[in-house]
Amino acid sequence: MKKVIVIIFSLIILSIIGCEEKPSPTPYSPTPYNIDIPFGFPTDLNIPDDNPMTVEGIELGRFLFYDGRLSGRTHQDSLMSCATCHRQERSFEAGIDHPDFEDGHPHGISGLKTHHVMLPMINLVWNKTGYGWSGFLYPENQNVDMRNIEDMVRLAVLAKDEIDGDTTRIKNLFQSIEGYPELFGKAFGKEEVTFKNIERAIAQFIRTLISANSKFDGYMRGEVQFSPSELNGFVLFTTEEGADCFHCHGGYGNPLFTTHLFYNNGKDTIFTDPLDRYSITGNIMDHGAYKATTLRNIELQAPYMHDGRYKTLEEVIDFYAHDLNMSEQSDPLMHHIIYGGNQLTASEKEDLLNFIKTLRDDEFLTRKDFAIPDKFPDQK
Amino acid sequence: MKLLNKARNIFLTITIAILFLMYSCGNDPIVPSDPVGKLKFEFYHLIDNSKIVFDSLIYFNEAGNKYLINEIQYFISDVEIHNDDGSSIILNEWNDIHYIDTDMESSQEYTFKEDISTGTYSAISFTFGIVDSKNESLMFVNPPHSFMFWPENLGGGYHYMKLNGKWINEDNLLAPFNFHLGRGQIYYSFPDSITDYIDNSFRINMQNVSYNIMADQTTTIVINMNMNKWFSNPNTYDHNYWGGDIMQNQEAMSHAIENGHDVFTYTLK
Repeated sequence: MKKVIVIIFSLIILSIIGCEEKPSPTPYSPTPYNIDIPFGFPTDLNIPDDNPMTVEGIELGRFLFYDGRLSGRTHQDSLMSCATCHRQERSFEAGIDHPDFEDGHPHGISGLKTHHVMLPMINLVWNKTGYGWSGFLYPENQNVDMRNIEDMVRLAVLAKDEIDGDTTRIKNLFQSIEGYPELFGKAFGKEEVTFKNIERAIAQFIRTLISANSKFDGYMRGEVQFSPSELNGFVLFTTEEGADCFHCHGGYGNPLFTTHLFYNNGKDTIFTDPLDRYSITGNIMDHGAYKATTLRNIELQAPYMHDGRYKTLEEVIDFYAHDLNMSEQSDPLMHHIIYGGNQLTASEKEDLLNFIKTLRDDEFLTRKDFAIPDKFPDQK
Repeated sequence: MKLLNKARNIFLTITIAILFLMYSCGNDPIVPSDPVGKLKFEFYHLIDNSKIVFDSLIYFNEAGNKYLINEIQYFISDVEIHNDDGSSIILNEWNDIHYIDTDMESSQEYTFKEDISTGTYSAISFTFGIVDSKNESLMFVNPPHSFMFWPENLGGGYHYMKLNGKWINEDNLLAPFNFHLGRGQIYYSFPDSITDYIDNSFRINMQNVSYNIMADQTTTIVINMNMNKWFSNPNTYDHNYWGGDIMQNQEAMSHAIENGHDVFTYTLK
């Protein structure tokens, strides 16, 4: 009997030991990165399940975002990275003063201009309705390769009017650059460079680009006061009898300063752009509709509108005051359109502009962890 | 043999002890409970008893305005169901505020969390919008609810409803209207000096509904919003008179709210 008990006991011990996982030869333990939700901001984030944010992934993403070899080429004239167009000092847009782009309209490595001008690359972790002016990348897309920031990275790398790269060449190049394979190992558990992981890392970095510390945010938190002009501008911004910007561009209750939705804002009456919102929905009422951009840091992000037709914020404010064009497709929220615009006076326009400038976030524009690294992994 | 019997006794004792422990560590003894069922609302949006064809300029209101509807977004809250005997049940303990959006199919169905005692019920009531004491700014931080915010300088909180459309105005132009309801303002001098705010939310009482909650079943009630009712009875609401925006016009909002009493009807499904 004793023997039987000993045998059974031994078998139990053996089975417990046998069920334990064998230690991994290369420990992979990335550090989870949690986004601190700023005051009043949404708690629902757009982070895909297959790309959780980690400190290591973000670090790698930042290197890749700024590394001109993302073009897959190493000659000095052929380098191009995300940061070639997305400049931190311009809130990650090109800006109208970009040294290589006429009127701030980007072109790719081949000189081909992009179809539209740029959208702000900030606070994208809260965008759940679609990326791009038409919202062509959206989470519920039947095409699983056209859903999120990861896909935006791939499309930008492949596009003739952007980086015009080759994914095989790019991954092979980064595999050969000293330091990168190790970073891929830390971020994704494998030192083998894959383009999928390049997409993931850059997307993780982009999701950290959060602007939430402007003067307006200080005002929301009760830390600073507005000047009388800024305050009057805020009232104009958030009243129907004023400028009525808030229904599309947010305010205190929606501090993203966009709904991330799509509107025909009365720029035109004839719609010929093949890449407007209609191109996604097929609804004729969506002709001439585009994403409402966030107004955070907007003063740095000229030119304005999808085609960059306005060079200054003053021009944009004038457009909304006097130059709206009514069409069957103009959004009902544009109720001032029957008068041609909201008819703001010169001093009201100035107040509105002063309020919009309170959305500038200087901390965001100079944060070291968003800036180009001092050195890349191969110390170049 | 003696040893084997002893081992068998020990085995039996341990088994009984384990079974006893398992039973005693489990949930409380099952007590037969009253039979319960679920209640679900479905929201329909009608003009002239038919579902709205959005963006179609085919409708007329009592004032004779030819109009179209682009979208409707609104809150109902504090749903209460009433028994035949006069008692009532407050669903979700007053905590429920439900958002309905004609562009979001999922928002147009709502099953209440509670198990409801079976029986016959005779009425439904709810608040259109959100009562002032609960209508606090930043209580919703996530879209689409957060997009309904009502600006601080107009009283804060949230729109009760955004009804957006267009009508053919007196100049024969297709003019936009934003029939937006929420907290009203009393102005000392318009638009700069506000002396007070007004709670424009109101109760909807649907009497003589008569519906059964059945054991382990979900009873579905269709809540119809009849759009033209917003524009009639007792007030003929004319877009040409009130214009395209009314958030800062308490008189227009109060006309709409007075008309609101019979906007909602029900259908049993």
